[in-house]
This record gives sequence, C-alpha cells and structure tokens, in this order.
Amino acid sequence: MIAAVVLTAGCTKETGYKTLIITGQNNHDWQSSSPVLKKILDETGMFSCEIAETPAAGGDMSTFNPDFSSYKLVVLDYNGDSWSDKTKSAFIDYMKNGGGLVVYHAANNSFPDWKEYNEMTGLGGWGNRSEKDGPYVYYRNDSLIVDETPGIGGTHGKRKEFLVRTRIADHPITKGLPARWMHGNDELYSLLRGPARNMQVLATAFADSAAGGGTMRDEPMLMTINWEKGRIFHTAMGHADKEGGPAMQCTGFIVTLQRGAEWAVTGNVTQQLPYDFPTAAGVVLRPDFKEITYKEALQNIRSYDIGKSTKNLVCIQSHITQLAGDKAGLLETEKDLVSILKDEKATAESKKLILRELSWMGTEYSVPAVKELVNNNDLKDEASFALSRLQAN
Amino acid sequence: MTKRTSRREFIKRSAAVTAGSIILPQIIPSTAMGMGGRPAPSDRIVMATIGTGSQGTGNMREFLKLKGQLQFVALCDVDKKHLEAAKDIVDQANGNKDCRTYGDFRELLEKEKLDAVSIALPDHWHGIIYSAAANHKLHVYGEKPICRTIKDGQTIVSAVQKNNIIWQTGSWQRSLFNFRRGAELAINERVGKVKYIEVGLPDGGRGIGTPPVMDVPPELDWEMWLGPALKVPYRGVSHWNWRWILDYSGGQMTDWAGHHIDIANWGAGLEHTGPVEISGHGVYPPEGIYNAPVEYDLHCKYANGIEMRVANASRLPHGMGTTWYGDLGWVHVDRGDILKASDKKILDEVIGENEIHLYKSENHYQNFIDSVKSGKPAIAPIEVAYRAISVVLLGEIAMTTGQTIKWDPEKEVIIDNPGASRLLSRPYRSPWTLPTV
Repeated sequence: MIAAVVLTAGCTKETGYKTLIITGQNNHDWQSSSPVLKKILDETGMFSCEIAETPAAGGDMSTFNPDFSSYKLVVLDYNGDSWSDKTKSAFIDYMKNGGGLVVYHAANNSFPDWKEYNEMTGLGGWGNRSEKDGPYVYYRNDSLIVDETPGIGGTHGKRKEFLVRTRIADHPITKGLPARWMHGNDELYSLLRGPARNMQVLATAFADSAAGGGTMRDEPMLMTINWEKGRIFHTAMGHADKEGGPAMQCTGFIVTLQRGAEWAVTGNVTQQLPYDFPTAAGVVLRPDFKEITYKEALQNIRSYDIGKSTKNLVCIQSHITQLAGDKAGLLETEKDLVSILKDEKATAESKKLILRELSWMGTEYSVPAVKELVNNNDLKDEASFALSRLQAN
Repeated sequence: MTKRTSRREFIKRSAAVTAGSIILPQIIPSTAMGMGGRPAPSDRIVMATIGTGSQGTGNMREFLKLKGQLQFVALCDVDKKHLEAAKDIVDQANGNKDCRTYGDFRELLEKEKLDAVSIALPDHWHGIIYSAAANHKLHVYGEKPICRTIKDGQTIVSAVQKNNIIWQTGSWQRSLFNFRRGAELAINERVGKVKYIEVGLPDGGRGIGTPPVMDVPPELDWEMWLGPALKVPYRGVSHWNWRWILDYSGGQMTDWAGHHIDIANWGAGLEHTGPVEISGHGVYPPEGIYNAPVEYDLHCKYANGIEMRVANASRLPHGMGTTWYGDLGWVHVDRGDILKASDKKILDEVIGENEIHLYKSENHYQNFIDSVKSGKPAIAPIEVAYRAISVVLLGEIAMTTGQTIKWDPEKEVIIDNPGASRLLSRPYRSPWTLPTV
C-alpha cells in the first residue's frame, strides 16, 4: 500500500522507460517544476513518467513507500523530510540493482545525513554540509580541483544568465555539445561538497564576483556518478519559477536533462542533438519545453520578418544538413521550400531566406519558381543571386 | 614631377619613364626634402589606405613608425567619421593638411599616383578591391582573410601574379620569433615527420539578438558599404561586428585562418597546396542577426597523408594556436611568445646549415616596404594566404552542406558535387562584378 502517494496523469507512451518523479517537499516551487520535468522527459517519447508526492513536511513519512523496483528511472525533485528507513532501504536496493537516478537542482540539498544518498549525488549543498561531508570539487585554470579546505557547503549569488562550459566532451551525454553555451537565468550553485567518488564533472560554470556566489571558481553543473550498479545524472541547474521559467525553458537544461536521463537508464545516449542547442552567442529558450519540428518550421517561417526569431530558418538548415547526400530527401525538401516561394501569404523576408538556401541546394526543379521572382521588386536581388548560382552548373 | 612615372619601376631604379599623362599635383612638403639623412621624397613609398576602421588605422600607425620611408597621401572610406580621424593622423605625420580623402575607392585608384596601398575592409569587398589595386599595379598590404570565397581568392591571386606586384598579407605572426622558430622545428622534423596538426582558433562570442531596422547614420554610405553583398536594411552593424554575419565574413574561423593555419602550413610544407578531403561540424547561433558559426570542428586530409584539425579553442587540448605532431612529440606556438614542446630538449635543437631556414622578418610592415624597394617577395605572399584561407572556406562548405568535401588542390575544384561547388562563389549584386583577370 502506498496510501499517501498521489499518482498524477498516466503514461504518454507505454513503451517508454517507466519513470518515477518524486516530489512533495522542497524549498523550491515543486508544484511548478515537477510537471515540467515530466513534460520534458515525456517529450522524448523514451520515458513514461509518473509523479509521486510525499506527505507534506512533518507528515507521516512511513506512508511514502513506492515500489522502486518497478521503475527504470527515478527523478528526484525533492528536498525535505527524511524518508522512512524502509523506503531508504528499498531505494538503496533499487540503486544497487542498477537503477537509474536523476538528481535535479535542490535535490542535492536533501538528506544531509544519509550516507548512501550523498555518495549517489556526489556533491551537495546546504543542510549544514561542511568539510565533514567531503571536499569541494571545481575547476580552476582548466584543472579539476578536489579541495579539502574547511567551510560551508552550498551557496549561490543573484540569479543570472551564465556560460556553461563542457569539461568532458566525449561522454555520451555531452558528445557533440558546444564547448560553451549560455544558460537561461538561473541560480549558479557554488561551493558544493560531498564524497565525490566515482564522479565525473561533465560541465561547469564560472561563479564570478558580481553574482553566482563569487567563488571565482568554475563550479560543477552537470555530473555523473556511478554508485554500485546504479547510474546517477546530477544537474545543479533548473531553478523553477511559476510554470518553469527561463532556467527550465533553457534548451541546454532541457536537452542535458533528457540525455542525462537516458544515460542513467541505459549507460548510453541515442537522442540526436537538436538544432536549437544554445551556444556562447546567447540563451535559447523553448517556451513550451518542446522542440520545433521541421514541418512546423516550414509553416512558421512564412511569417518571418526582420527582427523576428530566426529559429525556424536554423531548424530548416539543420534539416538540410542532416540530409547530406540523400538526394531524394533533399528533393523533397527543395519542393517544400519552393512551395514557400509560391505561397502568396508568405512574407518577402521569408522568401529571401528561402532563396539563399535554394541557391546552393536547389536543382532545376527550383529554376522556374526562382525565375518568376527575378522581376519582383522586393525579391529581385535575392532571386538573381539564387538563379546565378542555380545556373552556374 | 609632372611626368607620369610608374613609381614602382622608379623605385626599382628602372629607367622606364613615360611622358604625357596628366596627374594630380604632388605636393612635397618642405619638411620632406630629403634633408637630415632621410630618404629623398622621391625614394619614399607613396601610399594610401583603403578602409580606415580600427584595423586599417592600426596598420597605418605601424607604417608611420617607419619614419621617412613612406608617406600617406590619400585615404578612402565609406564612413566620413573614420575618414576624418584617419586624415588627422596622416596630416599630423605629414605636417600639413594635404591628405586627400575619398568615399569611392575607384576614384582614389584613378586619381592618385601611388606606389602602394594598405587595405583593410570587410571580407565581402576583398575580391573586387584587392584585384582592382593589383590591376592598377599598386603593391598591396592586404588584410586577412584575403577572400570571402574561393572564387574571390583565385581572382585576387591571378591579379597579383599577372601584375607582378608585391603582396603582403596581414599575417604578421610570421614576423615573430616564436612562430618562425616553431615552424622551423616542425619543418625540420624535430618532432619527427609531421603527421597531424591541430589549429585552435577563437570561440565565437555573444550575439546581439535580432535588432530592428535603424536610420543609417549620416556619415555612412550604406549602399557602398554593402557593395556586392545582398541589399539589406541597416540594423546597426557596419563596423567590426559585420564579422559575425555570413554575407560579409565567416566569423572567427575565417578571420583567424590567416594566422594559425597560415603558420601551420608554414611549418608543414603545405603553403602551396590544399586538403583533398574536408569534413566538419559547425554550431550556429539558433537565434539572432549573427549567423556565423560560434563553434566549429573541421577535419582535413592532405594528399601526403598529413591530417589537420581546425576547431574553436575550447575543443582542443592546447587551446588557441598551432600544434604540429610527429612520431617524436609535438611543438606548439601561440600568441604571447608561446613556444612549447612535448620535450623541452626539442626547443634547444639547432637547425643545421643545410637544413630548411624559413624566411626571416622581424617587422611585418618593414618587410613589406623592403620588398617594395627590392622587388623580392614579402614574407606573406598572396598564394600562401589563399591556401590558408581555402582550408576554412572549404570547411565552411562542408559545414553548410553536412557533406564530406573532396577537393582537388591542383585544379582547385570540388569533385563530383554540383551543389557544394556553387558555394565556391557568391554572386555579386548588380552592378558589381568580380574583375576578370
């Protein structure tokens, strides 16, 4: 019996890895964050998530007793009262048997006195953590430092956008990721400390003097930990506002969470890196936590005007790049693009973008549609540009 | 001074003098009459600067340090404010107010009687203006990257060769000790035969989002700034930051190829060839007006088996700079006098008399002036600049298409790929055309 566990919403796909998101107590807005975590993971089609809420703070924790063994992945959005010994023991067994775990943001604050849990998270903060709990771990001058200096565990400065730096580029989670990318407005967790055993720091962020705790260290943001047979993905990012907010909408947060979750289950990552992963050029948000598909981009780009988002174009360009060498696929894409040229409702600015793409990837199929625009006052330069290239060989 | 002389020939002490042409009066200031041990004005190189932004002005200041050896008489820019600021510098150096200013390079080339020109412009203008200067038989100090496309580059190389002018690329690292020494160690196989080279170029920076259309500032001739590029409304990007927009430049990757790839080629004997296979991956900003890749990772194979990786610095173990690898270790060079090796003993190696000694220059600007006077090639000639930039221009095509590009470095064509081949040039907006050489 798990009387007090509330199971919200069913599975999106029965074939997905069964996933249990645990929340119910947190110093953060868990009512906002946990549905977003579910949405982000369900979006991949790889997970089917349930949300389990513990009793409220001070409640009877013995009633919280999920059947961990029936899940492939546990996601902790929890920072609260200690679980019952029985539940802790079941969780340890789950992990010993090769369970997958995602530790999200303030979950690394939780359970300061639970030895095994802190071994699983690798690093934690607050909860009177100090040198007794383990060293600080961070990067300085591009070297990983394990620092036994006495002091508090856990701090952060004012929220801000910050640059995340990939430290291990050949891990399945980070493979192909930009070396540096801007993260949406978030708390930059600093001075985390813990056992840090069998832990890899995949990415860091620099906590400068103005904000972020001012440690002047490159603080760990994404980590993996191997504990017994279990695999743990730990993200220190993603502070929740009402309905998520920029830290959770950040494509970098979303995609690393999705990839980290898959790795925690299988030890591998099969997800393609999306076209909209942020770079050092700036933050990229997914306001509804979803990736725009190629088909959506084909539709959306028709209303493009100067000053509007260029995301749809980048999506189309990425689609073309991925079709490299696939002549049939490229011809289909060419036809899609030509249909935009012929669409009377599509803006001139959108057609200018399309003409540039067709200039190199088009074939004779495009020529008549491009020729028609050579005398169009708004489009003659771009049409001539495209035609000149299309007829070059 | 009323006879038109090809000043270049004159300087080379040639007797060739043609009479009858009409020229602008050449005003020689009294302070420049060859007194006090300085060269007579007729021996001075008469120069102009086209493009008086930060790089063009910086180059001009370096040339002006070579006191008495040259004189600037004219300037050209599409931004009147830049032009005025540069004129002040030149007038002060000349001790008069005579420096002439132009908004159109064609007028400058037509009217001025020059020996040489220093050019620093957005890349999309290089094909036309470098070729035009060469066709006017002017010696050129030209900024890298020397071209925006392979086709532009081929045209410039032809123009420079046909007119037999002195060309110096602004690849000034060649004139620094650590780069020459590192390249010399590599080419003399002090790490063994070079098999693999890593080239780290800067990471891309932050974007500015998608700014709105703005009024063109009164000092700026926006139409002329755009020139052969597609017409777009002014959105506040005309100086410096044009580099992050693909219509004008290829971002950090193409900007820095003329430095660290140039050095890589120098130390590996690849100066006069190109890769045969190029593949790569670019990370483009998903949002905003800046669309040049912020990260990039290229892999190139050469016919002789050497492989080269070109990537943004954060992706590479040695970060920025050039690293040559052979069976015996590696040598790494970068700015800040950095010269490192896998074993310090490599750095103490002596290069024997009969081994390869690379061209030695200790001042990139002086080297250009010396070459103009002597007629001997400068340290960074056009052909090697073209080969350095072609690596990343081909890489850009690999990144855009997602395909592995096969390149014939002799015939300078992409093999069996019509779509990718179209990216070897950018059509020019009417009425601009690339000169046929």
